[in-house]
Amino acid sequence: MLRRNILDISSVRRSNALRSFLVAAWLGWQIESNWTDPLLFAIYSIARPLASVAILVVMYSVITNGALQEPIFAYIYLGNALYILVGQVITGVSWAVIDDREHYRTLRHLFTTPMDHYWYLMGRGVAKLIIGTISVLITIIFGLIAFRLPIQWAPINWPLFISSTVLGIVSLAALGIILGGLTLMMARHFWAIGEAVAGALYLCTGAIFPLDTLPAWVRPLGFAFPVTYWLELARRGLLGPEAPRFPTLAAFSDINLLSILAMLTAILIIGSVFFYQWAVHRAKEKGLIDMETAY
Amino acid sequence: MVAGIHSAERVKRLVGFRLFWATMWARAYPRIVGAMRERSWMFFETLLPLLGVTSYVFVYRAIGAPEEYIGFVVVGGAMTAFWLNVLWSMGSQFYWDKDMGNLELYVLCPGPMMAILLGMAVGGLVFAGVRAATILLVTTLLFRVNYQVANLPLLGGVFFATMAALYGMGMLFASVFLASGREAWHISNLLQEPIYLASGFYFPVKALGFWIATFASIIPLTLGLDAMRQLLFTADPTLGFLSVPLETAILIGLSALFIPLAYVALSKLEEIGRREGRLIERRR
Amino acid sequence: MNTSYAIQTNNLGRIYKLRGPRHKNDPREIVALEGVYLEIERGELFGLLGPNGAGKTTLIKILCTLLLPTSGSALVDGLDIVKEAREIRQSISMVSGGETSGYGLLTVEENLWMFARFYGLDNQTARQRIGEMLEVVGLTDRMRTKISDLSTGLRQKMNFVRGFVSDPNVVFLDEPTLGLDVGAAREVRGFIRQWMAEHPDRTILLTTHYMAEADELCDRLAIIDRGRLLALDTPARLKRRLQREAIFHLKVGPLGPRPSKEAMIENVPGVRQVTIGEQNGHTELSLILEGEDALPGVLAHLTGRGSHLIALEKREPTLEDVFVDLVGRRLDVDTSQRSGEDEI
Repeated sequence: MLRRNILDISSVRRSNALRSFLVAAWLGWQIESNWTDPLLFAIYSIARPLASVAILVVMYSVITNGALQEPIFAYIYLGNALYILVGQVITGVSWAVIDDREHYRTLRHLFTTPMDHYWYLMGRGVAKLIIGTISVLITIIFGLIAFRLPIQWAPINWPLFISSTVLGIVSLAALGIILGGLTLMMARHFWAIGEAVAGALYLCTGAIFPLDTLPAWVRPLGFAFPVTYWLELARRGLLGPEAPRFPTLAAFSDINLLSILAMLTAILIIGSVFFYQWAVHRAKEKGLIDMETAY
Repeated sequence: MVAGIHSAERVKRLVGFRLFWATMWARAYPRIVGAMRERSWMFFETLLPLLGVTSYVFVYRAIGAPEEYIGFVVVGGAMTAFWLNVLWSMGSQFYWDKDMGNLELYVLCPGPMMAILLGMAVGGLVFAGVRAATILLVTTLLFRVNYQVANLPLLGGVFFATMAALYGMGMLFASVFLASGREAWHISNLLQEPIYLASGFYFPVKALGFWIATFASIIPLTLGLDAMRQLLFTADPTLGFLSVPLETAILIGLSALFIPLAYVALSKLEEIGRREGRLIERRR
Repeated sequence: MNTSYAIQTNNLGRIYKLRGPRHKNDPREIVALEGVYLEIERGELFGLLGPNGAGKTTLIKILCTLLLPTSGSALVDGLDIVKEAREIRQSISMVSGGETSGYGLLTVEENLWMFARFYGLDNQTARQRIGEMLEVVGLTDRMRTKISDLSTGLRQKMNFVRGFVSDPNVVFLDEPTLGLDVGAAREVRGFIRQWMAEHPDRTILLTTHYMAEADELCDRLAIIDRGRLLALDTPARLKRRLQREAIFHLKVGPLGPRPSKEAMIENVPGVRQVTIGEQNGHTELSLILEGEDALPGVLAHLTGRGSHLIALEKREPTLEDVFVDLVGRRLDVDTSQRSGEDEI
């Protein structure tokens, strides 16, 4: 009887988590796709990522006189393209707290439902993930056409690319939850916490320059973030043997890196669960669930 | 309730410039006070953007760029603070204000909307100023950027001319929100990276070619940044797009264009907003 | 048009075009106001009474210069709302019910000071008036409380102070007691009466869907429904329109099966208007009859439908009865329920 009750409770919990995730994913898509002008949406999805990568392309071209065939160019380009997902996923998850609390003013109502709010936030990030994925694809395709990125179809290591990307995205979602928890306890002027953290990670995860470029004492920071391993593995997966191996991670095999990525992702997920629970508790203690702070 | 107010005399009101000034500082007040009461922004507005700018420095280091390019990134990164202030603390703020019901009260009051916008900008300068100053100081020290300041008064003049033109443009953007809903917010979002690219925030704008740089010059930061870099880094004078005096003159011209244009646009767009009911809608 | 009125409208109308994707059968525009003629004297407390969606807020927004009319014209304080909007704003203010304006991180005093400065009050005058008015509304002890920490009622009191601190000639109050508890609403109404008594040259236009509030406060009021003014007079004279009629309130047991259209209560001889509601398992009917002698016919009809009388009360006409007489339904009944009533 007790065993059956426990099973019942855990199956209820699982279905509640799934339901919360699915409803939130639907809601996130409704919000993101609520554009009055689809053309503007299309421009937005294309122009922003391309402009972002074009900054780096111009910076590179000015200094190297357009030496686009050098391995470092592919490194920079792909890293920047894939990094779009970092900002989108982290932002998609953490921004939902501000959106619900201060814009739609539904957060207090959500918290009075039996919904699993952790999975709700995860679900809210799905729409941004989809938009981010489209932007990544467009950027890579543009790179293939305009700059002849050395990506060939046959040598692509799909299992490596897909497995590392899935783990990378999950780790980003967990990080987004942590930031969402932080946001619960702060005023709205910090609306761009997701983008700000993504900008900071840009520095120490080998996204657009090899970690060797950083001062020696900063490099270890890169080892702590799953994003570092995901980007390296994704490049190796896409570029195959052409992938430039810079000293910092060259000694690690694909399996090594994948294992580290999986372990760090697991740690981040567990950490996000505990942190978020604590953040919600703290926010309820301080009466911040329905705080309005615009100024 | 206790005894009421006895006001046989009518309340005297400020008019003209005094009303403008009072309105401007009254609107700046919530920003300034908010910055002091909720101090978590200091971490996010300083450390994190700093790290982002530093990334671009290391890109140049990774590809072996000359040291003055590090300086370009530093100055450009500092100036992003003002561009973001214009985009998000002026235009976008109207969107939030409309949502909260403040916008209609602003329209209703006799205080000019230009003063309200300027107040938002002045208040937002607290954030932008701290962000810009932090990026500039910390990265200068960290990367040992070497400035060769050719003409400090001219540098100051270029900076203020850039700010005047930039905030005039910001007021023009903000007027768009009077008649728009959420699409204006998305347009603001769209104007980050493309403007960083077109205005040469992280590289000499001359590298984009004459015509692109010319069109990009409508954004005051394009010529402002270019002129400031020419005055700060004199090692390679060929990296400038136009001469500093010409760029300064154009910036002054842009201020003279944007500020009256903003006034006209505000009036016109307020009328459109009144006609179509957009001042009072809550479209999300 | 005559500039001596505080507010004057001439065939005022407003149509909203609906944007966004719509089904082909959905309407593309809404007529929010149509053919509104009003003349409100200076010193009057004028009420606009109507259900949700009647057009009250639209009218106020037009008169406040936040919205342009699509037809007609209006003067506020002798100035044209279209051409002289900026001048009008010098002498008006608006307070809405359920307002969430202001900034949560600022205190009550700071928010009020900010708006007072927008209206051109110098620092000293602003602080003095804010202090005086906070004392009037009983908020002095909450002066330094952040507005995000205020309850709805206290926030609305603060909104009131905001509306009056600038010493306006014309004040627009849009459902000012919406969402307030009985005590807070009473205090707000008391404040309005007191202010009018102390400022006989000022004017208030008040919108509400609370009958008692309109009856208590207004010198004159207009009844509006679906964008049209249906009646305009003092509350007493409006009620007197129904003096000849007999108004009954019945509580009966559940009614039997739905009758044919010919056998509905509305068709019982002598019945002018009837509104029906279900409450706790019984049915409540409000009847306006041409005379008392129509009552037996109604009772017989109800008995014929298997119901029985629980309670019967004859009442003096209220504004709600006036509204029902004009519109055919109660003020608090959603139009979506109307078809259900027709079938009983």
